[in-house]
Amino acid sequence: MANEVLRARVGELAARVKGEVGESLGVLELTINSAEAIEALTGAKNFVDVPCDFLHDLAGMDLEDHLEVVYQLSSLRGPQRLRIIARVERDNPVLDSATCLWKGADFLEREAFDMFGLQFRGHPNLKRIYLWDDFEGYPMRKDYVIESHEQRAVMRVRKEGE
Amino acid sequence: MTIAGTQEYALNMGPQHPSTHGVFRMVVHLDGEVVTKVEPKIGYLHRGLEKMAESRTYTQFIPYTDRLDYLAGPHNSLGYVQAVEKLMDLEVPERAEYLRVIFAELGRIASHLVMIASGSLDICGWTPWSYCFRDRERILDLFEMTAGNRMTPNYFRIGGVSHDVPDEFWPALQSFLDDLPENMEEYFGIFFGNEIAQARMKSVGILPKELAENLLITGANLRASGVKYDVRKAEPYSIYDRFEFDIPVLYGCDTYDRHLLRLLEIQESRKILLQALRDIPTGPVMAKVSKVIKPPAGRVYHRVENPKGEMGWYLVSNGTTKPARVRIRTGAFVNVQMLSEIIAGWKIQDLVTIFASMDLVLGEVDK
Repeated sequence: MANEVLRARVGELAARVKGEVGESLGVLELTINSAEAIEALTGAKNFVDVPCDFLHDLAGMDLEDHLEVVYQLSSLRGPQRLRIIARVERDNPVLDSATCLWKGADFLEREAFDMFGLQFRGHPNLKRIYLWDDFEGYPMRKDYVIESHEQRAVMRVRKEGE
Repeated sequence: MTIAGTQEYALNMGPQHPSTHGVFRMVVHLDGEVVTKVEPKIGYLHRGLEKMAESRTYTQFIPYTDRLDYLAGPHNSLGYVQAVEKLMDLEVPERAEYLRVIFAELGRIASHLVMIASGSLDICGWTPWSYCFRDRERILDLFEMTAGNRMTPNYFRIGGVSHDVPDEFWPALQSFLDDLPENMEEYFGIFFGNEIAQARMKSVGILPKELAENLLITGANLRASGVKYDVRKAEPYSIYDRFEFDIPVLYGCDTYDRHLLRLLEIQESRKILLQALRDIPTGPVMAKVSKVIKPPAGRVYHRVENPKGEMGWYLVSNGTTKPARVRIRTGAFVNVQMLSEIIAGWKIQDLVTIFASMDLVLGEVDK
């Protein structure tokens, strides 16, 4: 289903950034280490004939043993689509910011920082976006403990009984 | 005698301000009356929908999706149920596909009517507001007679729609579509053709094409900056490839064009609805789906053209009844960024108009 030209370009790029190429439901996937993220994105943005030059989405993902940043690339001028998955260490979640390629990555990266604690190097304003500044923890990580419903109900009863 | 110079003044606008269309807060830096910088502060309506999705089954999450863009509920659910269907490789009955398109497009008209109405209200035009809401009410009545809910119908299911529409739905829809051209002339005459409205909106808040692409702006805001791109055409989902309609594009890049483009889109949605009304087949509205939904392990990214911008659903399934990750990319959230880029140099009353032209809904911005 994926375009043959795109497949060839992704293959070349994968060799350069030491990545693996896969496919999921008709969309090519390039899995890389976080250190090569910006090189891979720059390469994909400048593909000859099939530029994947529109960052549609940037999202974090927690896989228990490591974190991932998933970039969904597409183009406003063609049908090409590519998913780049950057593996990030859980203990040291640092990677370069994509704001140098797309200004609009700003909010998307702030959200990933807010929810997963991913540190984007070179981001102009890496602060929490949804939650308040002194919020503790990163709620979208799988090990984040949510206060149970029963616990909250008990606390409410005690307050009313005072 | 010394003359005191002006100093920069930071004004908190919102979150409870009528012109912020919800609970949006911005810190506006002013030099006299001129805006120098705007810092958007969002999160007042953050409900953690992505986190909630992980602790619910695929079916249980459908009602929540309506509450993203609550002015056009059906289109959000459409993106979600289709993403799950893609994961499961599920075929949806024809009639259900048509009903989905009808609801999605009705939602788009309702959303655009609210946008035009509140845009005019923000520059003190009360009458266009009442006209638009009068007609939007008829769409909400159609939702109500089918699903019981006015704004968040929760009508779509994985594999189809929950039930067929009642008999009185069709004449009501037909009469709404018959009246629409005349109503649109009214909106045009009273709002878009109005001299004061034009003076307030034309050449205000220019968003150039290159900046729009760099800021990852999508939806009508992008098309008002001269980019002809619509997911319904570029990557047709559901049965949008069967209908004949145009993608309106405007090249003014200003507040006026962003408003006008919504009016033109209502016209195109009407074309789609008329064709759907003509072609809709009879038959079942729900595919045979097992009670327990357990998609095979895999990843899918599905995007739809929401009235507020492109919505993307990235679902990761690990083969259980609950999703491993539901990522919602909402158009309005990314579109917020254009405000601080284009605002410098405009006066505070222009800020209100420019903000209205971005067409944000905070349910979608804050998730």
